[in-house]
Amino acid sequence: MKNTLAERLATFLAAYQPFSEIPFEELVSVAATLQIRTLEKNQILFKVDDPLHPFFYIVASGAINLSVVADAEETLLNRCETGEILGLRPFFAKNNYMMTAKAREESIVYGIPIDTFRPLLLTNSQVLDFLLQSFASTAPRNSLSTMGKSGLVNDTVRGPEGSTELQYFQSLSYDKKPLFVKASDTVQVVAQQMTDNLKQSAVILHNNMLLGVVTEHDLSSKIATGRLPLTAACQLIASKNYVFVPENTSLAEAQLSIIRHNAPLLLVSADGTETTAITGVIHLSDLISAQANNPGLLIKEIKKALSVSELKDLREKMTDFIQLAIEKKVPLSHVCAITGEVNMALIKRCIDLAVLDYGSPPCRFAFLSTGSQGRKEQLLKTDQDHFLVYEDVAIDRVTAVREYFLRLSKRTTQFLSDIGYSECPNKHMANNLNWCKSFSDWIQQYSDWTSKPGLKNQENPGIFFDFELAAGEAKIEESLWEHVMSVVPKNKKFLAYLANEAIKRPPALGFFSKFNLEEDGEYKDLFDIKNRAILTYVEIARVIALSREIKGSTNTYSRFKQLAMLEPKHADVYQVASEAFLMLLKIRTNEGYKSGSDAAYIATDELSKSDRERLKSAILPLKELEEIVKSKFQLTFFS
Amino acid sequence: MLDWIKIANKNYPDFWKVYLSRIEQKPERAVALRLQTTGNDPHKDVILAISAVGMQQNHINAGDVFEVVLLQYVFNHDNGLSNEFIIESKVEKMLEPQAIEQFINYLGNAVIVGHQVNFDIEIINTVLEKLNCGRLRNEALDVDIMYKKYKDISSDKTFAIEEIEKQLKLPESDKESTTDKAFALALIYQKLKHKLKL
Repeated sequence: MKNTLAERLATFLAAYQPFSEIPFEELVSVAATLQIRTLEKNQILFKVDDPLHPFFYIVASGAINLSVVADAEETLLNRCETGEILGLRPFFAKNNYMMTAKAREESIVYGIPIDTFRPLLLTNSQVLDFLLQSFASTAPRNSLSTMGKSGLVNDTVRGPEGSTELQYFQSLSYDKKPLFVKASDTVQVVAQQMTDNLKQSAVILHNNMLLGVVTEHDLSSKIATGRLPLTAACQLIASKNYVFVPENTSLAEAQLSIIRHNAPLLLVSADGTETTAITGVIHLSDLISAQANNPGLLIKEIKKALSVSELKDLREKMTDFIQLAIEKKVPLSHVCAITGEVNMALIKRCIDLAVLDYGSPPCRFAFLSTGSQGRKEQLLKTDQDHFLVYEDVAIDRVTAVREYFLRLSKRTTQFLSDIGYSECPNKHMANNLNWCKSFSDWIQQYSDWTSKPGLKNQENPGIFFDFELAAGEAKIEESLWEHVMSVVPKNKKFLAYLANEAIKRPPALGFFSKFNLEEDGEYKDLFDIKNRAILTYVEIARVIALSREIKGSTNTYSRFKQLAMLEPKHADVYQVASEAFLMLLKIRTNEGYKSGSDAAYIATDELSKSDRERLKSAILPLKELEEIVKSKFQLTFFS
Repeated sequence: MLDWIKIANKNYPDFWKVYLSRIEQKPERAVALRLQTTGNDPHKDVILAISAVGMQQNHINAGDVFEVVLLQYVFNHDNGLSNEFIIESKVEKMLEPQAIEQFINYLGNAVIVGHQVNFDIEIINTVLEKLNCGRLRNEALDVDIMYKKYKDISSDKTFAIEEIEKQLKLPESDKESTTDKAFALALIYQKLKHKLKL
């Protein structure tokens, strides 16, 4: 009998690896044996030590978290989304499951019986390869690239300590093709070879015996100083200041060896002694770059990245860094600043890549970030907000210039959304004709906003007063700020309008200081932390900062800090507000990582009791702030 | 034993006798049933297509699918209906008596899960009557009622499958064929069953 359901399921499978390698007819017969399961949020598919199911699974919708539990702490290993496969253990091992698979949201999974699928492996070797790879790669993401190449298939879990004490597991990538020179070579020859091969050192061998190592330091201290001539044999300047280490040295061990022996470099050999052949050299710089969580290096890599997918990987690394930093209790203001820089570098690189596609710009321009990115408060991958300003050009070039920048912005926006920044729902993006204009048009725009606030059909322009240069001409940004500061602080009407918008936001707490949850819609029973709390702080900080002519810092946290200095009368409130704002940001960021979303809505009943209290106390200062705003801008007349 | 004699005496068709003997056992399987009919009068309208998807305790079996398109020549002819969809459908086609017999064999003692399931059962009963059989004796569950129970809604309002699907956060799929709809029904049932802790 025909089975159209199986055909439909087979069509779904065929879109994903490894099923795409299998002929469709065979896939239909596989599909006819599927078991379909629905999972509620947090429902467990299988858990550690469960006997193996006779199935492996593919996620049809929703997402499944794979985790291990140790010391009552759950460590997330991987997240499987639509089309990804999990639970491959029964294929390759007989012992019980090593991890827990739990639905992160309402999900549907298809169970594929191992017995019907196994025969296909024999006929389709690519399928087997793919399964082996996925089985091996269900490991913590950040250790994936560095972890033992030898043990690819041995296990799916490497123990939870791998994630916290990563350094002890992280093996180094180092120079695996050291430069070998003969003892009789002159210093000049050696130096030339080092330069040609971009090496920092050269290993001197004589009949396969190690005689020493020439480093850049040796060249500068012994040759450049004139102590020895260029024609001297390199052996004379070689140092013996090195230590042998075995091939699979971890980052931590390498660091220890260098410190203990005070050696500038490590030589790698198979067994870590002088008797076996040298297979590599580890320099101090390798150690530094191995600490890939370093945001400075990330920025460097972003600047060099050649493709969007590379940028995407780098943003993922940044995510790891932010998470780690928050765990390690690095002050959030610091984390924000660093993340802001990385985000800016990302945007700049996206523009660079777009410029590579479309040729160099016809005139000077500035690509300005606004919104959370412009305020450097974007810890999660939330939506993108930006606009573009270009120089005024002669009238005959206007159309061409506008065309160019629109295309450039479209491309950049596309790149950014490929990296994972979703597009702004209000279309506050430079690819929108309204927000990609010449300098004089922008001046006009700002004047319009400020002279006629609250026009019908006009949205709150507040977001455009938090801009920060991402790429292009800094002069344009400066002039724009100058203009804003010349029209805004004096304009009582406009400030009152902004202030009114800020305190008109939906209140966060209701009677008996209970959270005001969403009453219906998609986010029913969730707390809208973005609109009810965070943005209220943001807007209040913005309007007061504008009225006090604070420019240069758009960050909500530092706006409050600066205000505290300017207005001793309210200093306490502003101080508290800046801390409370950071707390809100932290709660949202933590929730965002937990759920893998932008956490604009959070489930207050899932917070721990202390977090709930913290959230509440972070909202309380709003009341006093609102009072200040009301008296400052005389809002009683306005509304 | 006495039951058997009664059944044997009653001149039922053979497949119905088998059905009656199977219905005595406790059901372990549920079947999400979706009919396509010409209208909503169980006596005047006829079935155009039957699709059913079988389920075990906590999963749907993609292999346990029944689907058939019924050839209702007389009805279509009398009412001047086009038979385009019958020609286009890839599903197996049968005449009414044959299709119902196969369906009864497939159904066995399984719990029937449907949306507005009473109508479905009634219209099948009408056909069974024509074949000198008794009425369906399967346990039947209506997802509409289950959904209202879960949401604690007491009104008589009927919720469409699409509505329930959306509320249960099931992915929306383009449901063209009757089988797709049966599958959607099965997913809804699985969800509700878990939520109601059945």
